[in-house]
Amino acid sequence: MRRVGFLAVVLAVAVAACGKGGAEESSSGSAAGESAVKTGPGTTADTITLGYLPDLSGVFAPNGKAMMEGANLYWDAKNAAGGICGRQIKVSVQDTGYDPQKAVAAYQQLSGDVVGLGLVLGSSIVSALLPNVQQEGMFLNFAGWTSDILPNENVAIAGTTYDIEAINAVDFLMQEHGVASGDTVGHLYFEGDYGENALKGSKFAADKHGLKLVEQKITPADQDMTGQVSAFKKAGVKAILFSAAPPQAASLAGLAASQKLDVPIVANGPGWTPQLLTTPAAEALEANYFVVSSMAPLSVQSAGVEEFMTEYKAKYPEGVPSSNGSLYAYAGAQIADAALTKACENKDLTRKGVLDALHSLTALDTGGTVAGPLDFSDPASPPGDLVYIAKVSKDAPGGLEALGEPSQSADVEGYSF
Amino acid sequence: MYRRAAVIVVVVVVLAAVPIWFESFWLQTGLFAMAAIIAAIGLTILVGIAGQLSLAHAFFVAVGAYGYAYLADKIPPLLAVIAAVLLAGLAGALFSPIAGRVRGIYLGLASLGLVFLGQHILQNATGITGGYRGIAVPPFELFGFEFTGADGMVVLGVPFGPLEKLWYLGLVLVAIALWYGRNLVRSRPGRALATVRDSEVAAATNGIDVVRYKAAAFTVSSMYAGLGGVLMALAFGRIVPESFGFLLSVDFLVMVVIGGAGSVGGAAAGAVFVTALPLILNHYSGSLPLLAEPGSGGVGAAELSRLLYGAAIVAVLLFARDGLAGLVHRKERVV
Repeated sequence: MRRVGFLAVVLAVAVAACGKGGAEESSSGSAAGESAVKTGPGTTADTITLGYLPDLSGVFAPNGKAMMEGANLYWDAKNAAGGICGRQIKVSVQDTGYDPQKAVAAYQQLSGDVVGLGLVLGSSIVSALLPNVQQEGMFLNFAGWTSDILPNENVAIAGTTYDIEAINAVDFLMQEHGVASGDTVGHLYFEGDYGENALKGSKFAADKHGLKLVEQKITPADQDMTGQVSAFKKAGVKAILFSAAPPQAASLAGLAASQKLDVPIVANGPGWTPQLLTTPAAEALEANYFVVSSMAPLSVQSAGVEEFMTEYKAKYPEGVPSSNGSLYAYAGAQIADAALTKACENKDLTRKGVLDALHSLTALDTGGTVAGPLDFSDPASPPGDLVYIAKVSKDAPGGLEALGEPSQSADVEGYSF
Repeated sequence: MYRRAAVIVVVVVVLAAVPIWFESFWLQTGLFAMAAIIAAIGLTILVGIAGQLSLAHAFFVAVGAYGYAYLADKIPPLLAVIAAVLLAGLAGALFSPIAGRVRGIYLGLASLGLVFLGQHILQNATGITGGYRGIAVPPFELFGFEFTGADGMVVLGVPFGPLEKLWYLGLVLVAIALWYGRNLVRSRPGRALATVRDSEVAAATNGIDVVRYKAAAFTVSSMYAGLGGVLMALAFGRIVPESFGFLLSVDFLVMVVIGGAGSVGGAAAGAVFVTALPLILNHYSGSLPLLAEPGSGGVGAAELSRLLYGAAIVAVLLFARDGLAGLVHRKERVV
């Protein structure tokens, strides 16, 4: 019985500090006329708090950490330069472990104190959070590029989506690599939002151009692509579309080379990481591997990417920057920054004010970190429609060398999400 | 006897007052814990009492969760809860013939197959499950009283949203699950199941129909899992396949083992421990000293909470041999 009493005391002490505070909505700023900005949860007279929900301990932990590097990089610089609206930006981070249950609890923990979510990794996590996010009217920067999430008022995507990338990939193959109507093209893709969204795009493009599509669906647990390569070889594919992760890319390119299947492989953004160049498949990748993505290859000579690279090297001399990790979070922060700055101009830093400000951005220029100007006015379509096409190159930073300027295939006209 | 009643009254009053004082994080964590309690009681009956190792518990939880989410749109939510629980029980009954053929670790492996089968169905039967995007869970409703925040209900100055209302639903369901579980364990069928666990031959000699009892244990256990799944679905608001994977099955086994296999109260304590500890560690990890900022390398709050969680499980297994249940009643031996 004493034991039980002791436990009860410990519990009581543990929770004593957390009284239930109602949501404070202070609608008027301080006396100074300049700061008569409406504020709400997550914004005070001197700080703006953004919630970050990356995966720091689960399967995507390396990527989650890279993302936090990019986010810290941006906001530290922003705060040093005076912040937004005279307020410092505070980043409130909670780990999700890529577990929806943990994510929902983590969200409940920070949701009262943030104006919006600067980054959420994983579409299953976003799906689990959406009912609450919509109810509380926050914006949510989705670290993913699937059009399944559309139309959605609350979700902001950096650039365009996997399906559009795949349509552009098919166009690229037809223009540059001699794939013609009647040819067979393979598509290796992940079960789930990423791969299946890309497949939707490749099916559309294949229909349009009279191509025969050979589909190979895999799960992230499949690491050996022997069967898939044989199937592609048997079908006589002229090119392969790839919507899976780097381990599968190494296996696919390496096996294709050893089986004399010498065809171009075009991947979506998440199919690349600079670490692939340290694998035995590096040579095969350099010969045949291309990446289509709305996130810039790190070798692009544009103001935004160069600034990112300089700051990154200064702060993380040991780190390896990546387009989908640190650069993405950096670009996501640019989007949040633009929305908050606009909301400040409108004198409304409430959640709704920030969301409205986001939708009023029609031509956001990220300095090239994301392809093309971004238009957030239509919640039914992704904000960007341009993509970077890059080829693997050992000498380029990040291992990718951009082929020309961001572009868009004419085929996208007529595609419905 | 009076003392016992007084303790119960105090506990009930304290639990009922929780939504008045605690923030939504605690309610959300509590609801996940309650869902886990119900499902874990089911597993302790199956593993601890009847001695049938099962790794399929996540599958039955998924049947309950998805069953409710799918049906609640079409029939009244209360009927949907009952139907979902029955559906999970049916799934358990259909699986039970396998338990009649294989035992011990082999049964564990056979049941593991169900989890992967379940994941495949959840990902691909998009018409019912919504695939990887999951499905929205319709709010619970009882005789016209909706478990949402839409009615703007306010109690003692605290706005009562879905979490506050579900808290009470969860308390009632947990109380029923505990009461039924304890009665089952202490009654004739419970003792029969324990005999089946200890020796099937001895059980058969005593006139216990071993096959029937094993099937019944699977059915009851999966109905518990189904009810836990329903509550979990309601706590989530939207369910996705990732929540019902292999790891959830392992979590349930951990709950049962650290709670003290075969003890209903122990399973409940284990469920709270396993579900809430990582969330609470995560919650407070920000205020612990010597931690690296996320993204700067080094041991961050997320890693530390994982390490502490692992250490806590090891500590319980080392120092509380009979599980958490053994800590409370040292002398009293559970069934």
